[in-house]
Amino acid sequence: MSTLNTVKSPAMNVNFFAFAIMPNIKLQSSDGETFEIDVEIAKCSVTIKTMLEDLGMDEEEEEVVPLPNVNSAILRKVIQWATYHKDDPPPPEDDDNKEKRTDDISSWDADFLKVDQGTLFELILAANYLDIKGLLDVTCKTVANMIKGKAPEEIRKTFNIKNDFTPSEEEQVRKENEWCEEK
Amino acid sequence: MSSISAQGVVERASAELSKRINGLGLRSSKHHATKGSVMERVTNVFCGGGNNSLVGAPEKPSRLLPTRGLSKNANQISLTGNSVSTPRRHRSLPAYLSWEQLVMDERFLTNFFMYFNACERCVLAQVCTRWRDILYRSPRYWSGLVPVLQCREMRGTQGNDRARLYASLLRRGFHSLSLMSASDEDAMDLVNAFPLASKHIHTLSLRCSSITDRGLEALLDHLQALYELELAGCNEITEAGLWACLNPRIVSLTLTDCINVADEAVGAVAQLLPGLYEFSLQAYHVTDAALGYFSPKQSNSLNVLRLHSCWEITNHGIVNIVHSLPNLTVLSLSGCSKITDDGVELIAENLQKLRSLDLSWCPRITDAALEYIACDLNQLEELTLDRCVHITDIGIGYISTMLSLSSLYLRWCSQIRDFGLQHLCGMRNLQILSLAGCPLLTSSGLSSLIQLRHMRELELTNCPGASKELFDYLREHLPRCLVIE
Repeated sequence: MSTLNTVKSPAMNVNFFAFAIMPNIKLQSSDGETFEIDVEIAKCSVTIKTMLEDLGMDEEEEEVVPLPNVNSAILRKVIQWATYHKDDPPPPEDDDNKEKRTDDISSWDADFLKVDQGTLFELILAANYLDIKGLLDVTCKTVANMIKGKAPEEIRKTFNIKNDFTPSEEEQVRKENEWCEEK
Repeated sequence: MSSISAQGVVERASAELSKRINGLGLRSSKHHATKGSVMERVTNVFCGGGNNSLVGAPEKPSRLLPTRGLSKNANQISLTGNSVSTPRRHRSLPAYLSWEQLVMDERFLTNFFMYFNACERCVLAQVCTRWRDILYRSPRYWSGLVPVLQCREMRGTQGNDRARLYASLLRRGFHSLSLMSASDEDAMDLVNAFPLASKHIHTLSLRCSSITDRGLEALLDHLQALYELELAGCNEITEAGLWACLNPRIVSLTLTDCINVADEAVGAVAQLLPGLYEFSLQAYHVTDAALGYFSPKQSNSLNVLRLHSCWEITNHGIVNIVHSLPNLTVLSLSGCSKITDDGVELIAENLQKLRSLDLSWCPRITDAALEYIACDLNQLEELTLDRCVHITDIGIGYISTMLSLSSLYLRWCSQIRDFGLQHLCGMRNLQILSLAGCPLLTSSGLSSLIQLRHMRELELTNCPGASKELFDYLREHLPRCLVIE
């Protein structure tokens, strides 16, 4: 009989977690749903990783990490993404001055992000808050592709941004930018 | 230890913290032992994290919450809500931003704007003042762009609007400027309203402008930092004007489609610009004699010479070039249609430093010229033979022996067949190849190109042999290559 199958009591649990290479962690969404996942997967979020280090969490303890800004639907998506990408090599260091490509979204990510605009924006918020570089990268790419080719007014509408230019400023900024060409 | 629930931690923390709150501010950020006291752990949790939002101050989210009875509204749960004062934190965690905050957040936006090219950013800068201000602050967002001022439209605006426009150019870090339809008055306005141009403008282009010698002189006097000048379609500029205003700071000069530019203008360039590095000339009336004006002054400095559609130039002109400019690394004779194989032989024998040679639209070139090139130009990396209609597979065979060649353009070379492609397939260093408009190439011939493993760009526009299936096949086998349909 394998040990894994007989783990039931808290005491056995302690042993299990003490010996397991990858212990689990519980994440709780804003609407109270708890997700138990591999700590290593959770740590793709720099925010959670920092939090755990600050907590000094023991592996035999059952801590619940509350994520009061992420609802269960979004947290489920985030976990799905992180699980699929758990073995990805660390992303290369950004060259801050180089334009980033947006045409290199993997087909899995593209399918994963076939969601309504509200969900996409919430995923960006979650990726930004949880500090998950890869997820922020691919969601930003998707949103960038969404607004490329749109006029300023359409971008404002999409992003819910108020036009705070005065009419003369708007005319000025239009000229400043329409009168630019590629070298 | 293992029995401590988050709930318990919070309750005990509240009690402890209210007593010891003053002592919490200066805790060390050192990583603490996992077996530390409850108090220590709790203070660490509460001291951890930080609110580094740059926009507004979103409510601080709690990081330790009761596990039961969670409120639906996450933002309402905060440490202050638990009536615990907030001590200083020792780690900085991102604060939670709402969507409205995120799309105004500098840290997010500076990264987000990197997913766009400079042209696309021109639209983003028109969205709102915050986006504009963040974008305008960094010249890196604008590299690769040149502002082109529409002088005719500018004339109708207020003087201070023009001054603001000039100021915005400096703000965005532009060092180049192009004036479209400029008159002498527009040139004077720039001199008067844009004093800082004298230091900051390095590159000036005047296009389709009625500007005269007087206006050009005033501009060049003003722009003391200028080293790159382009005149395109400036039909009032005379050769005397060029003699009067060209100054030795200029290292890059382009003269295109200016009706008065002929041999004398080249004389002025050769005489007045000893440091010239790059010279591009498109002038139908320039003759071989003009190319004799270059002196030893330029022989070291001039690296790049482009003579576009200089129809009068013959092989005699080439003799002048190879004698006075032996150090050329880039030479274009595109559209110099009188050049023959003998001219190319002179080039191959004498300009051994050439890295790029453009003989497009030189219809008298035959396979013999390609043999000279292949034998002698061992450093050539880029060769353009568009519209050299007499080239055949034999000539391609010569070229295919050139190990240094990485870019090859054979657009509309109408005699090339699949057999020629077989030669090309041996060119393992080739990265860019264009066969656009080559009518005799078949699908099966083109499919053999997958042997070119280092290819980055393959152009097959207007190739009758390039079917949908072929493109799919090429893309599948050359995943790193941009295949242009």
